Amino acid sequence: MNKIALAVAAAFAASLTISGGALAQEKTVVIAPFGVKTGVLRLFGINSEAAVKSAVEEVNKSGGVKLADGSKAKMVAAEYLDDRCNAEEGIAVVRRMVGSDALIAVGPTCSNVAEPLYGILQKKVDDAKDTGLQFPILTDVAIKVGLAKISEWSFRNVPNELTMYSSLYYWLKTTRPELKTVYGGVEEDFAHSRASWHVVMKDRANANGYQVLGESKWLLNDTNFSTQVREIKKANPDILSIAAHPFTTCGLLKEMQRQGVKPKLVVGLTSTSSLETMQACPKQAEGMIIPSSFAPVNKEAKYAAEQTAKQKGAADLHSMAAWENVFIIKEAMERAGLSGRKDAASIQADRRKLRDALAATKTTKGLLGVNKRTEDREADKPYVFVHGKGGAWHVLHNPL
Amino acid sequence: MFDFIQAILDGILFGTTYSLIGIGFTLVFGVMHKINMAYAAASIGAAYVGLVSASAMKAASAWAVFGCSLVAGGVLGFLVYLICFHLIPLRNENATLMSTVGMLLLADELISHATTGAPQNYPATLEDVMFRFGEMSIRGDLVVVFAVSVACTAALLLLLYRTRLGLATRAVAQQPIAAQLCGMRVAQVNALTFVITGVLGGIAGALICSAVGSLSILLTGPLTVKGLIVTVIGGLGSVPGAIVAGLLVGGLENAFQHFRGVTERDMYVMLLLFAFLIFRPGGIFARGQGRD
Repeated sequence: MNKIALAVAAAFAASLTISGGALAQEKTVVIAPFGVKTGVLRLFGINSEAAVKSAVEEVNKSGGVKLADGSKAKMVAAEYLDDRCNAEEGIAVVRRMVGSDALIAVGPTCSNVAEPLYGILQKKVDDAKDTGLQFPILTDVAIKVGLAKISEWSFRNVPNELTMYSSLYYWLKTTRPELKTVYGGVEEDFAHSRASWHVVMKDRANANGYQVLGESKWLLNDTNFSTQVREIKKANPDILSIAAHPFTTCGLLKEMQRQGVKPKLVVGLTSTSSLETMQACPKQAEGMIIPSSFAPVNKEAKYAAEQTAKQKGAADLHSMAAWENVFIIKEAMERAGLSGRKDAASIQADRRKLRDALAATKTTKGLLGVNKRTEDREADKPYVFVHGKGGAWHVLHNPL
Repeated sequence: MFDFIQAILDGILFGTTYSLIGIGFTLVFGVMHKINMAYAAASIGAAYVGLVSASAMKAASAWAVFGCSLVAGGVLGFLVYLICFHLIPLRNENATLMSTVGMLLLADELISHATTGAPQNYPATLEDVMFRFGEMSIRGDLVVVFAVSVACTAALLLLLYRTRLGLATRAVAQQPIAAQLCGMRVAQVNALTFVITGVLGGIAGALICSAVGSLSILLTGPLTVKGLIVTVIGGLGSVPGAIVAGLLVGGLENAFQHFRGVTERDMYVMLLLFAFLIFRPGGIFARGQGRD
């Protein structure tokens, strides 16, 4: 009986040792993705979530994240939280993350969430008067120009639209010299679209010697574009630059078809180079040119797209930024030398180390090549020009 | 001046889509004295089911999609009645209002999940057909929407005033207890009203998506608001009023946009609603009423 009891006790002790060892090996570093997963922008969230999940799997397949003590930690993507493209909900979501063991957030989808959210992070690190959330965020989608400068805790890996449209208009000027005039179409109540036309497209078209004839405006929910198309018809531009998302871009293109309005060229918004446009108006989007920071043009890009598809997501310029973010974070975590401990003080110390490592990053490896990091925590990413052809987006020109 | 007239004309024609939704709102109110807030969302839901069903049957023409949407609309109409009205105590005035608001949000989210929020290409009735009169032009598909609105109104009026079902419906609307004492099945009449408005909603949803060119959840919110505005301006319960109000709202919307721009347009439409509520609470065709 004693022998049996001894054997049971020994087995129990051994099991404790094994599980303890296993637990010791199961160190984790948590990243927290968030964005929109409801409503009209739901697809953005689905794609970003799939990209983050598949990239995290890749990180773990290659051994995880190396910590300061030389041990390896498994990277964990927390549940993708939905901010519904609403600033208040976005702030609530990030406050929830701050209370968890997440070291960094990846998101949000909408610029109208990013802008106020960055505002509560803490403008300058170590500013005792500004307590802020002191939580690093590496944004994948929200693209409105110049947002990351709001806080030293905010970082973005979104394409630089100023550079992209400048390059596009320059390329058009040299390859299509017969095109002289530009007219804008803008979704006036959406932060990204509005900024893209008024700050980026219009300015860059002017800078490249185009005559900007004017602009027509509509709202995100609009369904009737007859007046706007008549305005475009009257202006008779060579190039129509549309700064709007797929629903209204397609509405406008279909109305143009009805009224027989055919500019020589249509330029679209970066976010429109997605599957959504090809679902809603493949025929009408034929020939539309858009600068994009993603296209499956090389082995890495194709692989990322395939892995994301396995998680039921589509690869586009936004979701592939989320993929890249996971690797940027991994690399920064390893340079930062994280403790990986789970007490509140260590978590906050690791967040700060991670922020500093991200701030010190000069270049990162992107899917289309090297992404440069700017002083104001933005990215300068490689890009290509894509055009609608046969119901899909194809690379038209690689300017780099 | 020409631009202004053309803008008004475009608006009036697009207002036919508001009329179609307004008819459904007003019919339910006329019969049950209750507002079905889920009507526009269910109509777009029916249009989506129609699109998916027709695609599954490999029948992608607009008319096949409309046929499927019509049937789906009837089924959804019955479901809305069952969940939001039949199972809810009707004595509580606000209960059905809240249940239909809940149904609106649910339908919205269901469409969002089914489509992943992405707009879906919707077949057009008369693609690219424009009727031209000199410099002026009008869209062929919107003429179809207008013709369907008028035909629906005529059919509804015939149904209400020339059939036994219509007689029963009016009796239930005016005196539900007396109608019940006369042997009429109130619940059955109400359910049938919802099926009929649901069928109408299926037609409306499909025609609206066809006119817009795509189906998206971005349609449900604005259509609900426009449907309610049209119902109030047309006079709660007045089917012909809903048609005229739809055209009026569409035309004025474009007029406001022409003079004040797109960002102020909706503000003036709301002011129009308040103007009607204060000065003509009974709607366009009502006689002037006193106020408290």
